[in-house]
Amino acid sequence: MTSELITAASRAVPGGVTTFQVASPDLEAVVRDLHGLRLADMFASDGDTPTLRLVWANDADGPQSGYVITETSIENGEYPALSDIAPAAFVEECEIYEQFGIRPASGKPLNRIMLPPHTGPHNTGTQNTGTQNTGLPTLGHRPPSEPEEVRAPHTVAGQAFEFPFGPVRQVGVESLYYGLVTSGEEVVDLYLFTWHKHRGLEWRLAGMTPRQALFLVERAEGLSAVAMGWAFAAAVEAATGTRPPAAAQRTRAVALELERLYNHAAAMAALCQSTGLSVGQSAAEIALERLLRLNARAFGHRYLFGVVDAGGAGRAPDADAIRADLPGAYGEFRRAADALLSTNSFVDRLEATGILTADQAGALGLVGPVARATGRLGDARLMPDGPYAGTGIAVPTATAGDVLARFTVMLAEAAESVRLIGDFIDAGTVTGTGPGTGELRPGGGTGLGWAESPRGEALAWVALDDEGRITRARLRPASARNWRGFDDACRSQNVFTDIPIIEASFWLTAAGMAR
Amino acid sequence: MSTEEELRAAIARQFGRSLHIRTLDTGSCAVCEQEIRLLAAPHYDLHRLGFFFTPAPRHADLLLVTGPMIRAFEVAARKTYDAMPGPKVVVAVGACALGGVYPADPFTHGTVDAVLPVDVWIPGCPPSPLALLHGLGVAVGRLAEKVRDIPFTAEDDTERVRGAS
Amino acid sequence: MTLWFVRGLRRGVVTTRYPARPEESARYLPTPPAFRPRALTAGTADRLAASCPSGALRRADDVLVFDVGRCTACGRCAAEAPHAVTTSGAFELAATSRSVLVKTIPLRGETG
Repeated sequence: MTSELITAASRAVPGGVTTFQVASPDLEAVVRDLHGLRLADMFASDGDTPTLRLVWANDADGPQSGYVITETSIENGEYPALSDIAPAAFVEECEIYEQFGIRPASGKPLNRIMLPPHTGPHNTGTQNTGTQNTGLPTLGHRPPSEPEEVRAPHTVAGQAFEFPFGPVRQVGVESLYYGLVTSGEEVVDLYLFTWHKHRGLEWRLAGMTPRQALFLVERAEGLSAVAMGWAFAAAVEAATGTRPPAAAQRTRAVALELERLYNHAAAMAALCQSTGLSVGQSAAEIALERLLRLNARAFGHRYLFGVVDAGGAGRAPDADAIRADLPGAYGEFRRAADALLSTNSFVDRLEATGILTADQAGALGLVGPVARATGRLGDARLMPDGPYAGTGIAVPTATAGDVLARFTVMLAEAAESVRLIGDFIDAGTVTGTGPGTGELRPGGGTGLGWAESPRGEALAWVALDDEGRITRARLRPASARNWRGFDDACRSQNVFTDIPIIEASFWLTAAGMAR
Repeated sequence: MSTEEELRAAIARQFGRSLHIRTLDTGSCAVCEQEIRLLAAPHYDLHRLGFFFTPAPRHADLLLVTGPMIRAFEVAARKTYDAMPGPKVVVAVGACALGGVYPADPFTHGTVDAVLPVDVWIPGCPPSPLALLHGLGVAVGRLAEKVRDIPFTAEDDTERVRGAS
Repeated sequence: MTLWFVRGLRRGVVTTRYPARPEESARYLPTPPAFRPRALTAGTADRLAASCPSGALRRADDVLVFDVGRCTACGRCAAEAPHAVTTSGAFELAATSRSVLVKTIPLRGETG
């Protein structure tokens, strides 16, 4: 029986990635069996026989950690409905319907996730230019009468008042639309749309070489440029059987930890802004700016674009600059954090706000500090192989699952990042570009890659043809996973003014969701 | 001076002392927004130059636009622009907004000036807060435009690009 | 709040003097490339154009057309032809007309 095979194999798999073919009728049973693992992603590929792939992560700390991929051929434009057994699959079911017109068999209502309301399902080979809704299932949240903009109905009579917020929001933040349902001050429900930022990246990547694609992949979620670039490069390397040199891997890791540091500083600043503590915000921004300047000195770009290359590293870090500047920059960060934790009025706003339970995080497949703050240990750096093996990396967790827990997890991660950067530099990073940083082996194949972005596990999957050109690329930044936990966090007895605080503690991006 | 030039000079006089900025994200990767946020941070402090952020388009003089103008966002972009009373200035920020990175396709226009009338273009990916400060100064006529006179050529053979071998 | 007040006083001012004075940290910023006309042949120009992921470079007859507006300073053109490309060091790039950002660089390289 296929499912028994898979279950047995997933327990015995000594880390790494294993792929199984699962026939469509068996898929539901397999998903039930694999429910002990975390559903990390689900996506489809087009072709003569469309394929549905599910990526499962085994987050065990140890040699069993790794990924299992199930591949199922989709017949008759349908596949078994999975989100009833695995709620973590719902968003992806909607996305697959929008992108391919392939629906889950149950026929239950799907939400508008990726494409604007006035476009229909996007099929490979046809460019959608604003045709009318045809054949779309009933949407959970009704599309507006005017297709170009979203307006949620206002109901003052009755128990709940629903109003739209965005996509143009406060100054200096990304466009993001959410619908707030409230009974006064309390958040009854919250749903969000990011389709106004959908750039269709996965479609643009088709036909590109990996090196060409990396340019866009970094910009899928620019604040996770290193993580997304690394995940994608690792996917390409897995597909071609390339192994980057150890020095190149450590270079990537240095950049990834620098990325983590500045993102956590930025999240700290956003937390202060959301609670109205301007002095704290300024202190965090000073630390953030020093970290960004360190990035520029170390790698030639404030946001570390261009560091990851397919097969190796694209930039050689200035290790002396890092040794010289990091202690001071981290000192600023630490002093700001300590002062914040000593400020009771600040801590009070964070405590018991935006609570997520471990069960909620598990059911939705959340990743990163958001999940670790509920007690779930899961960190892509614990996956086997890679430069983190043997570093004795300590991944902090908390149990309260509130904003304060997420904040303290980020602070602990930052301390660990500083230690890791020092260790990686001492062990040696690349000293020049060109040979020595790695070259891709020729040929095609499929591969999965991952990296722990500041927001959580970033995944990428790629299929290359024999000339090494991309036929299907899948990008899954952590934001694409974690936004679905945002409404649960906002609903747990919070008021409006808590929403920006919770949003800062998640520190996600609309770009990473919309791609 | 032509009427146009007179008007521009008047706007420069009017804006030169204090300017309110509304930001607009038409589909960026989120990094340009981070640099824009840092304009108000201690290292850059745009307030000392008379610039202020405002969330209300009604109070804004300048629209700071990032992203490649995704088509699904067009209506929101026009509404924000239309809500701003004149005189107003539109500044496009970053390579995406200026037509790089994303060629036009069914999802995106690829450049902000496909939809909004842009007055100042600030290149970069992302433009640093310093570049943004310079661009804002140019927009209000207080700083000189420099790029016109830069040929982007070099003759000295000993120069090397940092980061490449 | 005393804690914050004292900390702030102790650290002092970090604000840049820019634009009144140059900012020291600016020299670490990535900047668009500068091209060496004498190293540019038609073939080199074509390779540079193909290497640019942002569409900032193209060849038109005997000039290299460089759209600074589209440039992301990613360095791929410099990696493609290091003898022909160096860094401009220019970060103050704002322009009040779009065409001012499109530069034409003559191809003065000799083939063969």
